[in-house]
Order: sequence, then structure tokens, then C-alpha cells
Amino acid sequence: MQSQVEPNLSYFIAKARSIEGRTFQKKIKVAILSSYTINGLEEALRVKCAESEITCLTYICGYGQYNQDILDQSSKLYEFSPDITFVIIDTRTVMSTLFYTPYAIPVNDRRSYIDKRVADFVNLIRTFKNRTDSKLVLTNCSIPTYSPYGICEGKSEYGLREMVYDFNAKLSDVFRSDPQVFLFDFNSFVSKYGEVNVLDYRQFLVGDIKVSLSHIPHLAEEMMGYVKANMGINRKCIVLDLDNTLWGGIIGEDGFDRIDLSLKPPGTAFVEFQRMLLALYQRGIILAINSRNNEDEALRAIREHPYMVLREENFATMKINWRDKISNMKEIAEELNIGLESIVYFDDDPINRELMLKAIPQIMTVDLPDDPSLYASTLMRINDFNTLAVTSEDRKRGEMYRQERRRTELKNSASNLEDFLKQLEIKVTMKKANDFTIPRIAQLTLKTNQFNLTTRRYQEEDVQMFAHDQTKLIGCAQTKDKFGDNGITGVYIVNKNHADKEWYIDTFLLSCRVMGRGIEEVMLGYILSKAKEEGVERVKAEFIPTKKNKPCEQLLPNFGFKKEGQQWVYTYHVPIKQTSHIELNED
Amino acid sequence: MSNNLLDIVANVMEVQVTQIDDESGPETIENWDSFRGLILFEELESKFNVKFTLNELLNIKKIKDIKNILSVRGASLNG
Repeated sequence: MQSQVEPNLSYFIAKARSIEGRTFQKKIKVAILSSYTINGLEEALRVKCAESEITCLTYICGYGQYNQDILDQSSKLYEFSPDITFVIIDTRTVMSTLFYTPYAIPVNDRRSYIDKRVADFVNLIRTFKNRTDSKLVLTNCSIPTYSPYGICEGKSEYGLREMVYDFNAKLSDVFRSDPQVFLFDFNSFVSKYGEVNVLDYRQFLVGDIKVSLSHIPHLAEEMMGYVKANMGINRKCIVLDLDNTLWGGIIGEDGFDRIDLSLKPPGTAFVEFQRMLLALYQRGIILAINSRNNEDEALRAIREHPYMVLREENFATMKINWRDKISNMKEIAEELNIGLESIVYFDDDPINRELMLKAIPQIMTVDLPDDPSLYASTLMRINDFNTLAVTSEDRKRGEMYRQERRRTELKNSASNLEDFLKQLEIKVTMKKANDFTIPRIAQLTLKTNQFNLTTRRYQEEDVQMFAHDQTKLIGCAQTKDKFGDNGITGVYIVNKNHADKEWYIDTFLLSCRVMGRGIEEVMLGYILSKAKEEGVERVKAEFIPTKKNKPCEQLLPNFGFKKEGQQWVYTYHVPIKQTSHIELNED
Repeated sequence: MSNNLLDIVANVMEVQVTQIDDESGPETIENWDSFRGLILFEELESKFNVKFTLNELLNIKKIKDIKNILSVRGASLNG
């Protein structure tokens, strides 16, 4: 797919009608509850979902009915049973008459007014949470740019702007660590497009429309960030060209000293672009290079150029050669073990882009403007890197890929696999589900496809519930070796049935990064030993085949599990398999 | 994209261009509700680079009214 500019709302209205009845495998139910008229948003959202091959069913609350919909247990909202609910509120509604005349009441009353409004919304959302598992995305309020006090606004204690600011901050605090509730920074949305553009006074006065029709598609685009993240659709890797992309000019012709990359224009454009890329790298986006160049010349620039922001260590892999870029790209995906649909590709050459778009349409080939000063803002417009949480594993991902490169080097130099595994000095620490590990446990159940016995997907809320459930044993495995920390890479969830001296392995998975090193055996051995300690006689498990989970097909039979109908059963008739090259700890 | 007013109206209202003329309006075109009306004005404003006033929005009853406003504003109409 190609990144594109936003069409007008009329396009979405017509398109929504033409795609009616089309269905895709992926499906999401979205409820939109709003404090004002928001016609057209539903259509824009459905069309955008269809573009991402998602069937989107929508529920829109009646005009100003969001309170009733949430409070009434038998409302159409709950009947609809949404996956995501957007609650879109606005400053005028929250502030009521104080929006216009904030200084009509004394400062203490202003403070208690805001506290009261925050409490109202918190209660409303708690009610919602008690009744549904739907994710809830609540907008904050845009902070007014106008104040009747003019330049004295900043001198007034708890004035209009501070009231709205405080309202936003308090809501944000309450829900910061709540995995079910997200604050959509509507104030930033308004800043991005400008208050004078987002609010069209004529539309507002004619129809209580508080996001102008010209900006509804932009709002829908921002909302797609949540929808796609909830469906686990996100781009994970940025593949970059070098000449005229990461620096200006051609290294092979202009030379090391003459490429544009510096703190002076036009080199600043490339430094700015690289800084933005570095920030994404630190969030867990993988960077890679696909460039036609002499490798030694390009590597010298990457390693030694004083104004390179990104260095060798930031790239998970570098394909710098004279082969065709399509083959390079396929190799990158294979080597990093990521799907082509998770790649974003930056290349200044329109012909290369065209070729890539034709050969591998799943890749997002960015329509990069000719002007390098627009590179950074083009990158910032891509709203496809979202996940519902950023875990510490995400932040360390780049480092992990670098370690992986060193592991591969060792593997290539070791005489055999056994030797390699021994030399890795792997240590596995079994950890309980707690506040630190729960987000990562949920993330792994949501995205692990290959080494996953049952592919059961659990949200953070589910995992939290399991952790407090006495009839379940839930934990994870952290793995380290001599090259570094892989973080939490394995998860297990067991249902205990002590009456029958029987356990059932509900979930058992391992990140593909560490497959084939015996870690899965240590984990399974650990579960079987735990069960034995508690007097269990039978451990049941299941292998539910999918298109992708063949790598774990043999795990259960290799451990001596015997097939009984759909399930596999281990009865301690053979000793628990030992894995000598790994050190096991418990935490 | 066509700058023909009737084409734009037909497109936004999802009707055949042959079904409408200067006398058409919210009264005669079923899809032309207040929301579609606002979308139409939005389209016209971006295509002809004009801004309608609130009163103009409220008083447009026929395509002819739009033509009049646009020609007063000096927008170039094809056809």
C-alpha cells in the first residue's frame, strides 16, 4: 500500500455506501458516543477499516445520549457489545456556561466545579467498565485559545485555560495505568490542525458540529490508531534507502566529505529525519537498510560521519549491495522474522518505489516528497506504529536485534548446534505474573503465532484476572545469555484441578526470537515438576494447529505426552526431560 | 475533478446528473438533508475557493441560488 493524503468527507460517504455488505476476515465493533453531532465519522471509519481489510460494525449514540447509553444497563450500547468505544466530549459541554463566563464564580468554586466534572466522568467510566469488556477511548478537551481576560489570563488563579488543563490532567492521571481505558489527546488533535480549522462556526451554529466536516476524516484517521492497535495490526520495521534518503547526495559520487548531512542547511533536513527515526527505534521499531551502494563507502559514512545520528548499532540488518532491492527486501523480512505487511519503506527514488509497490504491495511504500525538508513530517504522519502498550521489551528491541547478530556470528563459527547452545550460557528465570510482567504476558499471547500451542489471545485485563485466580498458575520466562537479556519470551497459563489431581495447560508459548534453544523444554519441564510437587498425576495439554504454529507440533510428543482424543496427556510414566545446557532459576 | 456545479451536486447527493437542474434542491432531491447540504457547501468552498455566510447557507433552496451566489463572488462556472 501507498501512504496517501486525506480525501474529502464526501468521498468517504459515497465509498461507505459502495462497500456496504463487503466483509473481511477481521471484524471489529466500534461504538461512538459523542456529546455533539458527529455525522460522517462512522462512514469515514468504516471506509478506513475496509482499506485495512477489517469489517467495521458501528453503533452511534443518539444526539447527546452518551450518559444514558452508559448508565442504562439495558441500552442499545451494551446490546451491541462493542470491542472499542469512543467517548468524544468537548470543552463547551464539560464547562457548560463557565466556558463563556468562567469568572462569574470565585476561584474556589471553579476548582470544585472541575473536581466535580472529573468525578462525574470517572464514575461514568467505572460504570461502563463494570458492564462491558470493551476498550474505552475517551477524548480530553481542547484548551481554549481565547480568554476574556486576554493577556491577564496567565495572571488569574485557576482561570479558564487552567481549568480545562486541570480537567485533562486529572482524567489522564486516573486512567494512566488502566489497560482498558485510553485518553485520546483531542487537545493535540486541535493543535495539529488549528482551532480555527477544526471548529467551523457556521457548522457549529447550524448543527452543533464541533469537528468541522473537513476534519472528520482526520479524526477518523487518528481513531484508526486505536482500532488497528486493538486488532494487532501495526508496522514494526522501517527499511531505509541511503543516498538522498538518510543523507543528501550520493556517497559513491559526492564522497564522504561532500554529502549533505550537517547542522547547516540543507544537511539539517537529514539530521532532523534521522532524529525522528531514532526516537521510533527507541520505542521498539526496527530499522534496516536496503541500498544500492558500495558497501565499504556506505559503511564508512554510517560509522564515521560526524553528523550521522543513526549508527550501525541502530540497524537490525543492512543490505548494502548492487542486487535488486526486491530480493534484498525479502531477505530482510526473512532474516528479521517479520511479515512483509509490517514493513514501511523509505526511498527517494520514485522508480524504486514503483517497483516495490508492484512487487510487494503489502509493504507500505512511503510516497516521499521531493523536498527533504518534508521527510521528518512525512514520517510523523504515519499512524501505523501503534500498540496498546509500550513494554520494556519494546524499548530494548533494537538492542536485542544487535545481540542477535552476534549470536548468529557465534552460530556460524561453532562446530555444531550443541556446541553453540553450550557456548551461549543460557539462563532462564521463571517469573510470576505481577504488575511488571502482566503487560508483556498479554502482549505475547496477543502476537505470538509460531511457537504457540493453543493461540489463545488474552487482553491485559484477562491476564490480571488469571493472576488473582487461585485455580490458575500463570507465569513467564525471562531469558538471558552471554550476549544479553532477551527479556520475557515465554508464557504459560495452567488450569489447576486438584480434586482430580489434574492440570490443564491452557496456554504455552515462546517468542520466535528464542526458538530452538531448548528454552521451551526448560519451561515445560518446570511446569511438570511444579505439578508433581503439588501431587498432580496427570497433566493435560492441547495442540491446536493453525497456519503458523507448526514449529511447536512436536513439543508434546517429545516430552512423552500421549494423545487422548483431542488432548495430550502426561502421566509421569517417563522421567521429565532434562535440559542440561540451560541454568534455571525461580523468582 | 469537475468544476461543473451540477456534477458536484450529483456526486454529493448520489443522484444522476441528468436527474437534476437549476430548480433542484432539498425539496426535490431526497438525499439532500441538512448534513448532505453542509457537505455540499464544504465541497463547493474548496472547489471554488469561496466562503459562504451563515445566511447564505440557510437560504439556499435551489441549485439556482448557489449559482447566483457563486457568480456574485466571481467564481468561474463551467456549464
